[in-house]
Amino acid sequence: MIAYLCAIGIIALIYCLLALGLNLQFGLTRLVNFGVVAFFAVGAYTSGLLALQGVPLVLCFVAAAVLSGLLALPIGLLSLRLRDDYLAIVTLGFSEAVRISIQQESWLTKGVQGLPGLPKLFASWGSGVSDMAIFATLLAVVAVVAWGTVRLAASPFGRLLKAIGDDEPALSALGKDPAWFKVQVFMLGAALAGVAGAFYAHFITFITPEQFIPLITFYVWMGLVMGGSGTVRGAVFGSLLLMVFLEGSRFAKDWVPGVSEVGMASLRLAAVGLALILVTLYKPNGLFGGKS
Amino acid sequence: MTWIDFVNLLINGLIEGLVVALPALAMTLVMGVNRFPNAATGDMLTTGAYAAVAVQLLGGWPLWAAALGSMVVTALVSAGSYTLIFRKLAGRPMVSSMLAAIGLGFLLRSLISFFAGHDQRTFDLPLVRAWNFGGIRILPTDLAIAAVAAACLVVVFVLIYRTSFGRQLRAVADSADLARASGIRANGLMLSLWLLVGALSSLGGVLLGMKAVVSPEMGWESLIPAFAAMVLGGIGSPVGAVLGALLLCVVQELAVPLMGPSYKLVLSFVVLALVLLVRPAGIMGRVQLVR
Repeated sequence: MIAYLCAIGIIALIYCLLALGLNLQFGLTRLVNFGVVAFFAVGAYTSGLLALQGVPLVLCFVAAAVLSGLLALPIGLLSLRLRDDYLAIVTLGFSEAVRISIQQESWLTKGVQGLPGLPKLFASWGSGVSDMAIFATLLAVVAVVAWGTVRLAASPFGRLLKAIGDDEPALSALGKDPAWFKVQVFMLGAALAGVAGAFYAHFITFITPEQFIPLITFYVWMGLVMGGSGTVRGAVFGSLLLMVFLEGSRFAKDWVPGVSEVGMASLRLAAVGLALILVTLYKPNGLFGGKS
Repeated sequence: MTWIDFVNLLINGLIEGLVVALPALAMTLVMGVNRFPNAATGDMLTTGAYAAVAVQLLGGWPLWAAALGSMVVTALVSAGSYTLIFRKLAGRPMVSSMLAAIGLGFLLRSLISFFAGHDQRTFDLPLVRAWNFGGIRILPTDLAIAAVAAACLVVVFVLIYRTSFGRQLRAVADSADLARASGIRANGLMLSLWLLVGALSSLGGVLLGMKAVVSPEMGWESLIPAFAAMVLGGIGSPVGAVLGALLLCVVQELAVPLMGPSYKLVLSFVVLALVLLVRPAGIMGRVQLVR
């Protein structure tokens, strides 16, 4: 039971990290990133591939963050010229393009077979202990990122980001150029997603392209929107709520007799879809968010 | 690659383009009037294809009758989604409508896979041999697909450019406030638009299913190409959507010998990004849509 809770906790914290990254991009700066999973995937694959070459895990994590961040640079530059609806579809298309490339370039990524046997974080400490150590490390990382986000939001830089989200033309009229800040924040959010991906790779120890479908992006969105975008509280509690939702529906199988495993997966996806619709309709500011 | 291969790819690209033009047109109509990219368009296609499969299975009807039945079903689903969801989100930030559309897409797709399973299905069609003109092969089925798609496009264009429904629609697309001030009743007009968009998507799904196979993921996979076609043609421009779809699919087909079929979607994305960078208003679009 403890092992199960620990695993759930780790996944929840990984979603938390993704949500905090998205919160920087969308919550603060109103950059609509529908391709979160692309940066998550690149982080996971970068770290996993390097680790298989014997690179120390710490460096793998750094590389995951850097590469995911750099990958966001062209998209961030593109975002300067796009309205949010275009940006949404472009990022969605980008994430699918990344997934297909990972699937096709099997010389590098082993294609659909995926990468098995990735080294686990803290593996030398024994299986039960290593999970707890991963949990603790993630908790610390999420805490630091959450604290950093709060500080950032309160700083002049953060106020600038918020101003970009609220009223960009007014900001330009004041003589500030929002472009570079947008790119920076896009890259920062992507780097966080990359770190989340590295944690995922070195916790699950087996990654395939199938794990990086757009659904993951919308899990993160659902968590953020449920919690209330624009606040750290919203991102954190929203991701926890998402986890209750996802895991709870796993248990719901016991109460819905006569439904197969595959059927249950369909029902879960249906529940996610319905939740996305209902939250946008009735709780646009989220459960923990302030008034907009 | 000989010129005969080239012609074969060209023909295939044109036929695919005519099919992709249907969802691209459906998207551009909603984008022009309701001002958000309807990300559920792809799954509306899937709904149409499965509705036709269901009608064929239940009634043992010929495919054309099944297609008509599915157009009715999908049009109702589409109009229902407008009434229950998108009408209420009008005036809210565009992201709300997009997220709801993604949610609707998930919902439709998962209900379909729950009841119909994940297996691929095919329509009950007679097997025919391709005509061969000295190496240039044409499938009679493909010809039928192209003819139906083209006929459907003609009907929609007549509706948009030759009827009062179309005139009112274009008036709302140009300026919703002005249209309201001049006495256009938005509610009935919007319902008709969403019925039309649903029927259009349904036919797109059936034709796509005839060309390849019917699967729960088929529509989602055509979302990015349809969007790329719409942007390529210029958002809000019906003619542009059709031209964009033809151009995109021809380019995709011609690129298959170079990069293999798996990278088609990646190519759609690249085309999309390049168009947005180089000519954001698209082939037929107006510059005012770009910030």
